[in-house]
Amino acid sequence: MRKSIIRRATKSTDIPTASTADIAFLLILFFMVTTVFRATTLRLTLKLPEAESTERILIRRNVSYVFVDHERKIYMDDNVISGELIAAKMAPKIWDNPELITILNVDETVNYGTVDLVLDQLKEAKAFKITFATEFGRL
Amino acid sequence: MQLREKRKSKHAIPTSAMGDVAFLILIFFLTATVFTKDKGLKMLLPEKAEKEDIVQVKPENIVMIMINPVGAIRIKAAGEEKDLSPHEYGEIKRIVEERLLERDTLLVVSLRASKEAPYKNMVNVLDQIKLCRVTAPDGRELRANKISLIPTSEE
Repeated sequence: MRKSIIRRATKSTDIPTASTADIAFLLILFFMVTTVFRATTLRLTLKLPEAESTERILIRRNVSYVFVDHERKIYMDDNVISGELIAAKMAPKIWDNPELITILNVDETVNYGTVDLVLDQLKEAKAFKITFATEFGRL
Repeated sequence: MQLREKRKSKHAIPTSAMGDVAFLILIFFLTATVFTKDKGLKMLLPEKAEKEDIVQVKPENIVMIMINPVGAIRIKAAGEEKDLSPHEYGEIKRIVEERLLERDTLLVVSLRASKEAPYKNMVNVLDQIKLCRVTAPDGRELRANKISLIPTSEE
């Protein structure tokens, strides 16, 4: 048997793993930056109305929430409150931060009168920047 | 002359577990992440009106959209009145855009929803108003920015 004269170049078949940690750290940084820990979980069943012109709210720190569920119960700061007390609760928040955006999460079956009551209270508290929370959807 | 060769000690931090640690932290953040899902229709409420603050708007600058307790819609613009059924909501956009082109920044959209009307219908109409976008002859983009929300009651 004849020995091959030209030696075959041995190909390395290893997958380079040196940068795995770098990739992982990159992903960690991404998730660290985007993570928001949820402080409370509200047990509310809300079906938000759909709207095509729904915009994302990018400011996360300057927001306050008001919820109205299908039984027309109004929730603020994890408590059920009566409609007339919204202004009193909202006013000190606006005093602290006039840029505060109030996000109204209202169930789609609620009548407009209830929403108007909330809007009226917000006006009284000078919380003029509001957002009607909606889901994106076409009519 | 040195007789004994000094033994060189190796200084190396083991890095083979680095990837494992990184993935552990990664999985933690992956599971703990909650992306914000705040989205909606932005509005700026007016100040509570005093008597002397009331501004008169010329009737030709107003598009009035009324929602009755069952959610039916009537639109009033430029002396024209029209009833719309829920699947004709696109018509609101057409009418408002038409008026917007004519009246420019003077246009005020008055949304009069009955207090009994479902919130859903009110949002649908508001959505249509927000969708309005026309290009003025001079190239500016016009939007219906002046929206007034007025509740009506049946008494």
